[in-house]
Amino acid sequence: MKDKSKPDLVNKTVSWNRRTFFEMLTAVVAGTVAIATPFVVGVVSFLSPLFKKNSNPQVRIALLSQIPDDGMPRSFPVVTDHVDAWTKYPEQRVGSVYLVRNQGAAKPIAFTAKCPHAGCFIGYKPGDELFRCPCHTSAFNLDGTRERGDAEVAPRDMDRLPVELRTVESTDDNGPTEVWIEFIDFQTGHKEAISTV
Amino acid sequence: MSSPLRTLVDWLDNRTGVRGLLHEALYERVPGGARWRYVWGSTLVIAFVSQMITGTFLWMAYSPSTQTAWESVFYIQYEMTGGWLLRGLHHYMAHAMVVLLAIHFAQVVWDGAYRAPRELNFVIGVALMLVVFGLSLTGYLLPWDQKGYWATSVGTNLASQAPVVGPEFKKLAIGGVDYGHHTLTRFLALHAGVLPGLLIALLVPHIALFRRHGLHAREPLKGPDAMFWPDQLLKDSIAALGVVAAVFVLAIYGGGAELTAPADPANPYNAARPEWYFLFLFQFLKWFPGELEVWGAFVIPGVIVTTLFLMPWIGRTRGGHLFNVGLLVILLGGVVLLTAQAVRDDYFAAWYERTEANAHKFDASQAFLDAEKNAEREAERVIELARSPEKIPPTGALSLMAQDPYLQGPKLFAQNCAGCHTHVDRSDGADSTHNMDGKSATAPNLFGLGTREWVAAILDPDQVADADHFGYQESPFAEGTMVDWVQSTVPDLDQEHVDQVVAALAAESASSGNRVNERGVDKQKIAAGFQLIKEEIGCTDCHKFHEVNNEGGAPDLTGYMSRDWLMDFIRNPSSERFYGEYNDRMPAFAPHDNPQLNQLDDQTLGLIVDWLRGD
Repeated sequence: MKDKSKPDLVNKTVSWNRRTFFEMLTAVVAGTVAIATPFVVGVVSFLSPLFKKNSNPQVRIALLSQIPDDGMPRSFPVVTDHVDAWTKYPEQRVGSVYLVRNQGAAKPIAFTAKCPHAGCFIGYKPGDELFRCPCHTSAFNLDGTRERGDAEVAPRDMDRLPVELRTVESTDDNGPTEVWIEFIDFQTGHKEAISTV
Repeated sequence: MSSPLRTLVDWLDNRTGVRGLLHEALYERVPGGARWRYVWGSTLVIAFVSQMITGTFLWMAYSPSTQTAWESVFYIQYEMTGGWLLRGLHHYMAHAMVVLLAIHFAQVVWDGAYRAPRELNFVIGVALMLVVFGLSLTGYLLPWDQKGYWATSVGTNLASQAPVVGPEFKKLAIGGVDYGHHTLTRFLALHAGVLPGLLIALLVPHIALFRRHGLHAREPLKGPDAMFWPDQLLKDSIAALGVVAAVFVLAIYGGGAELTAPADPANPYNAARPEWYFLFLFQFLKWFPGELEVWGAFVIPGVIVTTLFLMPWIGRTRGGHLFNVGLLVILLGGVVLLTAQAVRDDYFAAWYERTEANAHKFDASQAFLDAEKNAEREAERVIELARSPEKIPPTGALSLMAQDPYLQGPKLFAQNCAGCHTHVDRSDGADSTHNMDGKSATAPNLFGLGTREWVAAILDPDQVADADHFGYQESPFAEGTMVDWVQSTVPDLDQEHVDQVVAALAAESASSGNRVNERGVDKQKIAAGFQLIKEEIGCTDCHKFHEVNNEGGAPDLTGYMSRDWLMDFIRNPSSERFYGEYNDRMPAFAPHDNPQLNQLDDQTLGLIVDWLRGD
């Protein structure tokens, strides 16, 4: 039950003329556009994170009185509103900072706990002389510098965050002082500290 | 074959050519006969099919969002019938696939099976290997637990260091600057859609080309040629069954796959490690300090993968083939060594003694082990909470953890109290996980606050002035009225009376909070102790106690160490009700009515108090 017309089709060659050329061109273009349209639309929405603008939040971390000027790091959670796509989390913990106030200093220094190497959480045990990153064992002195300098896995010292002291308004002009920071998320792995925003 | 069936098959064959297809599939010539060494490719196919099956069923129960991912995996693991086994099979089969892949790859290279005309098929094979790695990377994150979250976070941070496109690539991979819902939706789409699709798209030509070129027989042939069906298929099936059996045993032995505590961006997981088959990469990176990282993370792996793709052309000469085999041995050996080194680094503290020379290594390892132990404790606790009749709130399991005194108490204590106080169980067989032992405590040990044992110790002339109680460093109370009273008066009291006082005070501590049993027992003893405190042994000379209102300056004993008492006390220990002007250095943590002015809010206070009281 072979199809009688088949041998003819097989032997038929396409004659090159203007008409067939446009036929082919149209077929290829139309087909490509048909497939590319949904694909391009998809890709554009897939790329949307690249078009979003973000900013670094200002966050109240602690009262100044919580940070004695003994030069010891204290860990505080960074609590701020956090928006994740469609969900807004009010007062969410989004990270962690170490505040260190050296003897006689008015302002504490703020270190983000995110390791400049690969973004792990740098740990600190009270009493220890070093910050230690648990992942690739980078170690930092209490002033944030790398213990072994350039021989350390981390490409730069711990990242410092801008600190601001704000006095809470109160009736007796004696309100407590709050420690605020700009919570910047830095890119990892570079010698320079570059914000991800 | 009975004639109706034959008719049906004829009909089907006429329309589809199924007989020819089946014949082609089964009657493949196997030069030299069926052999066990030919089974590895087939076992990989079976492993992949198994992953698709278990994966599809997992998919039916999985929900990708930050409030539901961990929760749905928890539900699969602990509530669905056989869910733990389903997860276990998927988890361990992924491991098995990596092992099988290594065997398959090593065999092909060793045998030189990549030579013409099989070059392209080898290239497809290497691409397939990369897809499988991609599958395991994306799958690791999906449970959204601490382990997967932090390991993947390190992975994507490394990816962001790729030259030029790195940061943009990371943003696209995780769907924004931060990890969140879209990280999960994207990873799931990759893991369950894009990558398996790609794998199939590569596997089909891989098998088609394999059939076109025929099996690469290993010389010397062991016997006469045979057909794929049934000889080789039998061996393949038995091998596949063996793989599944091994995975099954592992899944049962492991009780399914591990599920650590829910991912918490603010709570570091210091034991974050990649899956064991990526440990070598993790260890490799330690060799590249600072900006050299790019070499360890991209350049060298990139060169190696490129070399793998080029192996068929390098191997055209005998020398080239030897180079390939040498590279294979070095790579596999390197992987084994690096993996062993990574494990040794992590468990160093468990296997060796600390010395001056290895201090750095030892401490790092100890930190890892502590973190692992702590993570286990957290995971156990949150799973216990999620399984309680309260279940998981709509905000997700993370809020269960945030409101749990058992988990938050120690952290908050370390942050706010441990500067002065200790918290150490001095009894034998103590659970040391809660111990916080400062070397120079300048305030009392708060372990077991308000329990009978604790009250008894305060009233014990031998203990009242020790470092755990009033005799801490620089204590103004070490020679104070209370110590004096305990040391001079208590020895003259009947032991029975002391016991009654202890019982009564411990009962006071149970007047609010969850420690209810204390009031139900020994009613007579408590009543007797109550009378003693109130009237007979002189407590109320200094203390206030219920309706006996004395202004002697010592803390109120009404509801002593109960939840409400402690909350008020920590809010402001210098209040008249407590130590007033005699307060030693304890700060007031919440003296103001306006919560903004206070150091601690009520919820935090409650967590600390509940934990201290063991409620």
